[in-house]
Amino acid sequence: MAALALFSLPLPTKTIVASYSPNPPLHGRKLRAAVIGGGPAGSSAAEALASGGVETFLFERSPSHAKPCGGAIPLCMLDEFQIPHHLIDRHVIRMKIFSPSNLAVDFGKTLRPNEFIAMLRREVLDSFLRSRAQSYGADVVSGLVTDLKVPTSPGAPYVVHYVSNNSRRELAVDVVVGADGANSRVAKSIGAGSYNCAIAFQERIRLPDEKMEYYENLAEMYLGNDVSPDFYAWVFPKCDHVAVGTGTVRSKREIKEYQRGIRERVKSKIDGGKVIKVEAHPIPEHPRPLRVRGRVALVGDAAGYVTKCSGEGIYFAAKSGRMCGEAIVRASDGGDRMIGERDLRREYLKEWDAMYVNMFRFLDLLQNVFYGSNSAREALVELCGDEYVQRMTFESYLYKKLADGNRWEDAKMLVNSIGSLMRCKIIGERMEVLNL
Amino acid sequence: MSISMALFSPPTHLQTLSPSSFPKPHLTHKPYLFLRPKNPLFHVRATEDNGAGALTSAATTVEPIAEPKVPAPSEPELEKNETSAASNGSLGTTTEVKVVVSKFENPKWVNGTWDLKQFQKDSKTDWDAVIDAEARRRKWLEDNPETSSNDEPVVFDTSIIPWWAWIKRYHLPEAELLNGRAAMIGFFMAYFVDSLTGVGLVDQMGNFFCKTLLFIAVVGVLLIRKNEDIETLKKLVEETTFYDKQWQATWQDETPGSSEN
Repeated sequence: MAALALFSLPLPTKTIVASYSPNPPLHGRKLRAAVIGGGPAGSSAAEALASGGVETFLFERSPSHAKPCGGAIPLCMLDEFQIPHHLIDRHVIRMKIFSPSNLAVDFGKTLRPNEFIAMLRREVLDSFLRSRAQSYGADVVSGLVTDLKVPTSPGAPYVVHYVSNNSRRELAVDVVVGADGANSRVAKSIGAGSYNCAIAFQERIRLPDEKMEYYENLAEMYLGNDVSPDFYAWVFPKCDHVAVGTGTVRSKREIKEYQRGIRERVKSKIDGGKVIKVEAHPIPEHPRPLRVRGRVALVGDAAGYVTKCSGEGIYFAAKSGRMCGEAIVRASDGGDRMIGERDLRREYLKEWDAMYVNMFRFLDLLQNVFYGSNSAREALVELCGDEYVQRMTFESYLYKKLADGNRWEDAKMLVNSIGSLMRCKIIGERMEVLNL
Repeated sequence: MSISMALFSPPTHLQTLSPSSFPKPHLTHKPYLFLRPKNPLFHVRATEDNGAGALTSAATTVEPIAEPKVPAPSEPELEKNETSAASNGSLGTTTEVKVVVSKFENPKWVNGTWDLKQFQKDSKTDWDAVIDAEARRRKWLEDNPETSSNDEPVVFDTSIIPWWAWIKRYHLPEAELLNGRAAMIGFFMAYFVDSLTGVGLVDQMGNFFCKTLLFIAVVGVLLIRKNEDIETLKKLVEETTFYDKQWQATWQDETPGSSEN
């Protein structure tokens, strides 16, 4: 089994499987998979599994729940997941970023006419994806999963304990996909370890019509120690109201102060508005120490696939769900063979890491450099005034590929970044010295 | 009085209209009380400081009057404002909001940027003063965050200040310091090595080991300028690799031929 040793290399390279013995075939039945959690990650996984021939059960505890979320999805998600355009509430084509000293920069000058950020309601998106998974053959179970019993002997099934219609039930499956979000039950059952979370807090405010017009296709981002010490605050337009919120990792207790801070910063623009809902939710900061164990794989927020800097998670949740589902289908030959942990690692984890780890790393670098202090945030906003930066940012965001730019412009951008950072740091140091 | 009403009604009537958040008004009042005391202190110091941006005199007079009035009238005013907001639900109520107390005012700050004509010294712009003024403004804003407004957007950008002004003021003194240190270290190291090995300066430069030591000395002088820098550098290295470690964590416990199923 020397070939198995090859798979322990954490390098995203293809290894030769010539001496590898295939998985044992299942006799008389298809592979059974349980997907816990019916959000974008779970629905995409269920869809990929069901359409690949695996017997799929999708568990969702509250199908009509409106998940607290920014609700912005990139263009590539609309294409890759064939999201119909009538689900989109708003097309955001302009963004404004405000520095701590209220220097405002208009983002979006470089967008092409068919490019926009789609804002959707999560309940609308989630139920669409779930019903599509159902149409492909997934069995949607409305119930709360209370426990996942890990088998003690090889080949034994995983038992999902759940409560549905006020009765306790059990389901035995071969493979489990944990897509149950930041407080994942599945992750707990397999001992995947925990991660740091940011808390995102937002208030939905219904504005009078003239104020709403200002936010017709504009989203705003605010930076500063008064609105968040390590993240940003936002005003996102939704179907008929705006969501004003902020987030933080390290100062969770002061979140209400920061919320007040953002309300202050936006005061004149949301004046006369009515708060219709207040919500908060944890956002994972980094992947869990363990994302695959046994025949259980974690996807989406449960795995911790949220980018730093922008806090984006919907696309990565859906994509990881789909990739995991496809990986299981491939490894099991369309549901005919049993699979093992190494299949999940090879087909899903390795592929995922190879595709996205660099993007995540880059955004982490940006967060460390630019979100650390007020002077760094000033530098960030100054840089965002540059057209090349805007174009690169939007292309990377909308198409989820680190955009390929001109080397000369890249070098200029790097020099400008260093220049801005240094200038703002000098002013920051001057600020410390000045005793007002 | 109407000004104080204006100060406190907007945030509270945002919340009290939704029945579920009725107890909220008390919460929003208290923090305002906390925030308020900072400003009077600041005003006192600002008037002493001659060069600092002056705040509108209206602000200074409103502050002390507004304070004691806060708890009493705001509750009944709340009701009044809400109903008026609900009835016209339009720009009518916003006119009160325009009087924002914490706003950066300075005769040299015009239209969201520094008016360079006012910074002339000997018929040339005094960039040092511009840098100082901006630093003061940002410091003031840090303590008194200002509402972003569409009518008076901030357009001042540090790139307006020419590169040589920065270099003259900040780079050159530090460069002088570091070069001086490097020269002193270099001289004594050359003397020391010569006295130990008898190898003169010219021959030292030709030796690979000496060149390496020279490189280390230069890098050391550049990176480690204070004692704390050593710790800072160590933490920096750890921080930059931390996120990567978190991503690789899932691959760590893999052992060859580990059994699954």
